[in-house]
Amino acid sequence: MAVDESYDAIIIGAGHNGLVAGAYLAKAGLRTLILERRDVVGGALATDELASGARVPALAHTVGRLRRSVMSDLCLDEHGLDLIEPDVRVIAPQPGGPPLTLWKSTNRTVAELESLSAKDASAYVSFDRQVRSLAPFLAKLHTFTPPDINHPSLKDGLTGAKLARAYRGLDKRDARTLLRVMPMAVADFVSDFFDSDGLRGLLATRGVQYAALGPWSAGTTGVLLGDSAGNDGGAPGQTTFVRGGPAVLAEALASAARSLGAEIRTGAEVAAVTTDGARATGVALSSGEELVADAIVSGADPKHVLTDLLDPVVLGPSLAWRAGNIRTPGVVGKVNLLLSGVPRFDSVDDESRLHGRIVIAPSIDYVERAFDATKYGRISEAPYLEATIPSLADPSLVTDGRHVMSVIVQYAPYKLRDASWATERDGLGDLAVKTLEEYAPGLADLIEDRVVITPADLENDYGLTEGHPLHAEPGLDQFFAWRPLFGHARYRLGIDGLYLCGSGAHPGGGVTGAPGANAAREIVIDARARARAAR
Amino acid sequence: MGQHYDAVVIGGGHNGLTSAAYLARAGWKVLVLERRHVLGGAAVTEEVFPGFRFSVCSYVVSLLRPEIIRELELPKFGLEILPLDGTFTPLDDDYLWRVNDHGRTMRELRRWSPLDAEAYEEYGQLMVDMARFIKPILSIVPPDPGKLNPLEWLPLVGLARRFRMLSEAQQAVFVQLMTMSAADFLDQWFETDPLKATMSASGIIGTYQGVRSPGTAYVLLHHYMGEIDGAFRSWGIPRGGTGGISESIGAAARAAGADIRTEAPVDHIITSNGRATGVALSSGEEITASYVLSSVDVWQTFLHLLEPGNISDDFEAELRRYKFRGSSGKVNLALDGLPDFKCLPGPGEHLRGAISFSPSVDYMERAYDDAKYNRFSSRPYIDMIIPTLVDPAMAPPGKHVMSCFVQYAPYHLAESDWDAQRDAFGDTVIDTIAERAPNIRDIILHRQVLTPLDIERDFGLSEGNIFQGELSLEQLFFNRPVPGWARYRTPVENLWLNGSSTHPGGGLMGAPGRIAALELLKARKRKAA
Repeated sequence: MAVDESYDAIIIGAGHNGLVAGAYLAKAGLRTLILERRDVVGGALATDELASGARVPALAHTVGRLRRSVMSDLCLDEHGLDLIEPDVRVIAPQPGGPPLTLWKSTNRTVAELESLSAKDASAYVSFDRQVRSLAPFLAKLHTFTPPDINHPSLKDGLTGAKLARAYRGLDKRDARTLLRVMPMAVADFVSDFFDSDGLRGLLATRGVQYAALGPWSAGTTGVLLGDSAGNDGGAPGQTTFVRGGPAVLAEALASAARSLGAEIRTGAEVAAVTTDGARATGVALSSGEELVADAIVSGADPKHVLTDLLDPVVLGPSLAWRAGNIRTPGVVGKVNLLLSGVPRFDSVDDESRLHGRIVIAPSIDYVERAFDATKYGRISEAPYLEATIPSLADPSLVTDGRHVMSVIVQYAPYKLRDASWATERDGLGDLAVKTLEEYAPGLADLIEDRVVITPADLENDYGLTEGHPLHAEPGLDQFFAWRPLFGHARYRLGIDGLYLCGSGAHPGGGVTGAPGANAAREIVIDARARARAAR
Repeated sequence: MGQHYDAVVIGGGHNGLTSAAYLARAGWKVLVLERRHVLGGAAVTEEVFPGFRFSVCSYVVSLLRPEIIRELELPKFGLEILPLDGTFTPLDDDYLWRVNDHGRTMRELRRWSPLDAEAYEEYGQLMVDMARFIKPILSIVPPDPGKLNPLEWLPLVGLARRFRMLSEAQQAVFVQLMTMSAADFLDQWFETDPLKATMSASGIIGTYQGVRSPGTAYVLLHHYMGEIDGAFRSWGIPRGGTGGISESIGAAARAAGADIRTEAPVDHIITSNGRATGVALSSGEEITASYVLSSVDVWQTFLHLLEPGNISDDFEAELRRYKFRGSSGKVNLALDGLPDFKCLPGPGEHLRGAISFSPSVDYMERAYDDAKYNRFSSRPYIDMIIPTLVDPAMAPPGKHVMSCFVQYAPYHLAESDWDAQRDAFGDTVIDTIAERAPNIRDIILHRQVLTPLDIERDFGLSEGNIFQGELSLEQLFFNRPVPGWARYRTPVENLWLNGSSTHPGGGLMGAPGRIAALELLKARKRKAA
């Protein structure tokens, strides 16, 4: 088939990072095409429709980590983005006792914790301060392109100097603390501060969400601190909704990208990255159509691109083997519910407490046991859940007093040992409801509609290898200068002309737009160098 | 009041003795004080039952720094290491048996998986390269990350330069070794479950981690770092048990002029105006010294031997945060014969090396799961050796001694205490062995069970941690034992640390003792200049 058109950059996948990268590239004057396999843009930023027209976050339900500079650079508010930040960040129902509520206001949280334990209340202040003092360094780190360790240029030297400056910006004690706690198990980190099982369990989840790690796994403190970087997360973490559902953010990004000149095509599945020698030169679509560009940019996960879309001969055996070993152990599923009313949680008299995240993780052991199952290819008997009822803060999602509930269920391993996701779908839905029922009796009777998304669905429908929402496991072994692979962490992936702008790149997954923005910066540098060379 | 020493060393374990030998050879007047009647600390040989001599705690050697053997001329002082041949992993009806003979190991692996046999060669070469690269770290004094003093970071610059000389694939593997779990790391190469389980076992020895816990891959390298007579990757046992190592280091120290006293427990460290000036023994005797070196662990040193008021609240808080949580026990058996394995009956060469109860990765991980919830493993990982097969003098003729290193045995038990659980723990170990070698019960003459509590009581290791503190990522290098105090000095002037609580940590290496002594000599020279 003849080549129709030529672009400066083609982006594979219109997930939020693909859109962010596309918008920045277009803004820099590159002729940019974004290709999306599905009929809608947004990837994991999706809104599903339930019965009676109710809308629910299909996958991700909060977006509080979205980089501030992305919002302002792309003027997202002008493209319809409206964020809602409830006063309550998270509530954690406890078995046989009152729930823990962490508010946006630290003072309010501390005042409530006083009744639980004066020691833990004061520890909360120290913990919050500790997280807030360490996270800015990581936020800074997140803006960097990891240095080229083998061929450091002057620029890499500058990056190193900037890193050192940011590091020196920490006081001496924080500098030591940072290096000590990053590789630490989050269970140890939170237990250093708190005595209460409930508080420990709740805060420890911030180090394991979406990861095949338990609170006792090394490196999970680093995950918690990374989650706090770049927003005012502090101790409780972020809770920010998009008015109208997550897809509104995706549409805002797409609209921004289009207004800057990018072209977006949906229903356009990339079947292969085409190459000339050892250089990526374009993409071949499933339809047979071929497109060429100077830069091929993957918003899709790196394992998929390197092992499925690229000719292994071009990649070479060593890199192909390494790419095949990128760890992508998906462990979450999603259960979305349409409810006829607001569920009543034990000991929660005030509905406003339910406006944030609802986390079921009453102790570290509870979460660790939930994790244990995944090691043996089983679904947790008592899973860790993070639920939201976004319709409380955003009534536009529903009609007639109904509500939608979005439940992230962990651990539900992609690789089941004695079962298959084809038959476990209902089981996962029942498990989520049963677990919530223990804290909110009567919930089951409110359910009018239910959609279950298994890790297999995440792979098949959303193109996430092994259903991993973060594209690659966030552990210490796939971090910064070695995310996704050592030597390929600078957004240039595998071969010349191929780039990575998705969550598989530094600084990793979550709705941040950070990998997309960082990658665009590097792609523009290369494009300008090419233009100079051509002159 | 006794005489004055340049340095008094608390603890006659292998690190204490190593420091003493180096300082004495530099002309210092040195005294080593050992609480027990024997030297060696956890590297000790004792006649536990009449006629039966045991390496009571530490039982194999490989990592003992070759420079120590060379510089202290340990062979001259009686050190002889007998090689242990191979690792035998008994299974239900089969086994996996790797030996030092490369061809035989290849044939065995091919029987399991031709792919694994191929990968094994590639893997072995890679690990040898990695071990060569990483070894210098074992001799570096860690810098203080809070200070960014260029002089302190200099040794790392050399390392960074050497890192850049590695290929990208090797660099990537190095990063993985520092960050991955042993099981994940090995999954990249191998498919044979008992092979992965047995190899990964070395990643969790002495730690409160499982084979799937991130950070455990690094220890896989240790197997390729060991050196006996200059040959990489051999394990051995010292003739006469591990006490033989301590005896030879002690003899080297004495020959250089050091005084060594046993049954001389230190009651406390004497301080004056925030500086250490000597020690007081339990007998009441006081000994003054210019420097006090403590080779016992940091809790013993700062929370028991030092009187309150000598360290700041901040430092004490850091110390209390330092994690010990011993996770292993030891069962020593006097035997009337040899165990008879169902999967390979009769006596034979397979009994002459390590016998590893690690049939699958899940087995290893389940053993850890028990420990996480503060129970000892219902089916533990056991690393068994029968020293009498290479060193018959350890037992009366025709009899044998067997050493079983057992994991997991967490120091903190959820529902009971170790005094009540000691026998149940010993029984569990015997039951586990009996499943694969049913005759074991009939040949046991005596049994010694060491729980983490016993290891704490008898050997002075807090919470029974055999490495004087967990070897987890956050407690290594410049974080060991406390960030900012990884350079063997302490907040108490003239009090130095030289035990396994300091970099590069525990194991029968002697590295902390050597580096601390050399660093002290350097510091004193600088001061004098």
